[in-house]
Amino acid sequence: MSQQQPNPQTYTTGYTTGGATTDTATIDANARTVHYKCGDCDQDVPLKRGEPIRCRNCGHRVLYKQRTNRMVQFEAR
Amino acid sequence: MNGTTEEKAVPIVDPTSATEEEIDPSIDRDRIRVLSGATDTAASFQIDGEDHTLGNALRYIIHKNPDVEFCGYSIPHPSETKMNLRIQTYDGVSVYDVLDKGLQDLMAMCDVVEEKFTTSRDEFVNRMQE
Amino acid sequence: MAPPSAEELTRRKKLEVSPEIVSNQASTDLPGHWPGENHEWDLDYFKDNFNVQFHTHSPHDATFSLTGIDTSVSNAFRRILLAEIPTLAIEDVFIYNNTSIIQDEVLAHRLGLVPLAGSRDGLRWLKWYKKPSDDDEGSGTPSDYNTIILRLEVECKWQEGGLARAVAGETDPDKLYINHNIYARDLVWHPLGKQHDMFPAGQEIRPCNPDILLVKMRPGQKIMLSMHAVKGIGQDHAKFSPVATASYRLLPTIDILKPITSADAKKFARCFPRGVIRLDTVSAEDVANDPQLEGQEGEPKAVVDDPMKDTVSRECLRHPEFKDKVKLGRVRDHFIFKVESTGQWESDELFLESVKLLKVKCQRIKRGLDEMIR
Repeated sequence: MSQQQPNPQTYTTGYTTGGATTDTATIDANARTVHYKCGDCDQDVPLKRGEPIRCRNCGHRVLYKQRTNRMVQFEAR
Repeated sequence: MNGTTEEKAVPIVDPTSATEEEIDPSIDRDRIRVLSGATDTAASFQIDGEDHTLGNALRYIIHKNPDVEFCGYSIPHPSETKMNLRIQTYDGVSVYDVLDKGLQDLMAMCDVVEEKFTTSRDEFVNRMQE
Repeated sequence: MAPPSAEELTRRKKLEVSPEIVSNQASTDLPGHWPGENHEWDLDYFKDNFNVQFHTHSPHDATFSLTGIDTSVSNAFRRILLAEIPTLAIEDVFIYNNTSIIQDEVLAHRLGLVPLAGSRDGLRWLKWYKKPSDDDEGSGTPSDYNTIILRLEVECKWQEGGLARAVAGETDPDKLYINHNIYARDLVWHPLGKQHDMFPAGQEIRPCNPDILLVKMRPGQKIMLSMHAVKGIGQDHAKFSPVATASYRLLPTIDILKPITSADAKKFARCFPRGVIRLDTVSAEDVANDPQLEGQEGEPKAVVDDPMKDTVSRECLRHPEFKDKVKLGRVRDHFIFKVESTGQWESDELFLESVKLLKVKCQRIKRGLDEMIR
């Protein structure tokens, strides 16, 4: 029963500081892509560290982080 | 023994297991002890892992014994699964014998209940099928 | 001294219910209570006096009367039914994904409460699973003989053309989505090792009721989880309780002391649930036997028909016209049991199991006592 092992590849660190002042030059090309959901049009928005927080489809500035892919254990009580 | 409560986890023995393989009398030995100040005709027993279910039934059946002067049970603290049973007897009758008889009587009673319940149910089922 | 008469015995075991108080509550069949009487425990006397009578008998619901037994013992059976008969229930939930609107912990709790059924022999064969803790390894790794694995993997989607219908104004979810309602039947059992043999086809582990609604979903939402079900008892958590209710009440008695006739009789009957009081006609014979019925021949008269249907509401005691004419009570050693099983076991099996368990409890103490004396 090895289901309790978390999957190590799915850690999401999610550094999303910056915002409007972010310069495209500072985008770290090697950073991991994190997928967000647009709060308005529900599109998938893959972002890298330093990128502007903005939906590529509709331009909405509210993005939602997706649920963790790690297993979460609960007691049924 | 001096009446101190020593924390000891009592493992759950499978009561419904058809095989008796798991039952080890030394586990049951730890379930019951005599509190301090006991004499042959007056003693308090502390029983682990039991509550009103057995306590009250045992109290009743021990009361049914004419050699018993006093019998009562208590649960000293609701968050500890312990039950205290006090027995005092007349005329030098041993409390251990009284407790033993009480347990045997209760078991005999259970057998009668089981038997009568089964016959009565089977009769009812047969009557319904007719 | 002569043994008490039958009337005296019935009187002794009748609990009296008056408007504000109950009297004669405690049992008195104990040695030393009645001078000159022997109330020592006597198995043969118990055998002669104890009786079981069935009223209804179905797998999920049984009502029966136990008579001639003390409250302490029948209460022990009731308590064991509620809290000490082991059943199978989901204990751990491992959630890999849950994008439905129901929170993980709430979903886990709901899953825990689903009653599971399976082969009776298989359930008896299952052993306890004790969770490992820091200083105790417990049962260690879950195994086939103590853990049942179930999975729930569902995703809600649009039906073919569902989106177009929604745009057109259709709001019925059944016509728009698939898998928008997740029921207990969607739990999938994954048998391990010996469980294949212990729970053969037709007796596999399944929810007792397949129609329990677990979650509602909308397109794009997804649930992926696995569950471990283990054996436990109601004392630990109510989800392990094998019964929905297990209760008893004492048989009510209604004694009409003076005749209640004509309009009063109808009013009297209305003080009770239907079927408790019957209206008979006063016959010439009744008039001859009872001078109080003089000139009332042909009038209706209140007669007790079935006191078992009474709820002992005491309504009849509120009316001045019935003052001193009626006495309510209950029989102290007549227990009307009602056992409603959740479906894992049948109700009658459960009661027998509770009797066995009380005996096992005694055996346990007796073994300990024997060891102690030795």
